[in-house]
Amino acid sequence: MRLTALLAMAARMKLPPDYRHGIYRPWTAAAKANNPPGRRRKKVFVEPISKEDWKVFRGDTVEILIGKDAGKQGMVNQVIRARNWVFVQGLNTHYHYIGKTANYPGTYIANEAPLLLRQIALVDPTDRKPTEVEWRYTEEGERVRVSLRTGRIIPAPVHQRRDGIIPEQWKDGPKDTSVDDALDRTYQPSLKLFEEEILELQGIVETRRAKKSYWY
Amino acid sequence: MGLLTNLARGLVRGADRMAEFTSKRGPRSHNKGRGARKVGYVTLGGKFIKIKEMVPEFVVPNLTGFKLKPYVSYKTPKGTEPPLTAKQLFMDVVAPQIETDIKGGTFDPHNLEKYGYEPTQEGKLFQLFPKNYVR
Repeated sequence: MRLTALLAMAARMKLPPDYRHGIYRPWTAAAKANNPPGRRRKKVFVEPISKEDWKVFRGDTVEILIGKDAGKQGMVNQVIRARNWVFVQGLNTHYHYIGKTANYPGTYIANEAPLLLRQIALVDPTDRKPTEVEWRYTEEGERVRVSLRTGRIIPAPVHQRRDGIIPEQWKDGPKDTSVDDALDRTYQPSLKLFEEEILELQGIVETRRAKKSYWY
Repeated sequence: MGLLTNLARGLVRGADRMAEFTSKRGPRSHNKGRGARKVGYVTLGGKFIKIKEMVPEFVVPNLTGFKLKPYVSYKTPKGTEPPLTAKQLFMDVVAPQIETDIKGGTFDPHNLEKYGYEPTQEGKLFQLFPKNYVR
């Protein structure tokens, strides 16, 4: 296959409009096994929430209102916006054995079940109780989530990179350009073309000229 | 997606008909290239004449004391520079010269060549229009 087509395919997965998003992400093998192309399932109705209205992010502290673990607070592990799902770490779990072989009974594992946004409420940092939250703008113009009961700003969770790198603690390797070198502005604006500058710097003298050609 | 549907349904049924027919497939007599550009021309006798100017040559500068490296540190803050426009280039390079000349009283509107004005592109190696360089 052409390299560009392959890269384009790898970059963004084209999903059918009636694709049912499950617990597994669409590019994983499990999702591909559950949703082979051509499978049509009964439609799952999802409350439409726009991208700007979304309030819950990975790393937020959240309290569960309805369900088995109602009243407990936890950190959001994963968010699946297509189904309005939120996974809270260690809560709303079901247990099962995995890795069962002939001799080994398997490891008893807890799996979090997804919670809808209606079953979740963000926690106010002042009194650590669930509140309704709204998006508002600060004096500086920053968009923040504000708790409606107390008026306290709920800070955005610290964004951790998936590869685990903390930029502040990064140590430059031998192939890394340092911050000063990268931000150094060494460009001298000139009317010369890049090619003309290179000719001058390398000392190449080109006296031949291309033959005049015409196109219509 | 045609490839995937075929894989899912057609691995049971047969070969992938949508795959590109490259030079790696077909009999020995199937000879096709993979998109390399020509560096000359074939004469009537069948001989291939290579033109040195069509062969790409890497012009590598001396990189001693060059500070930029392949990768950038994670600590660098994100940001963009405003894109360079023709107006910005004019204001940076030509406008100061014209200003000093006007203040000195030596500005001549008929002699704009000294600020870089080119009345024609004839005779230039790299012509701006019609553009005859690759970049």
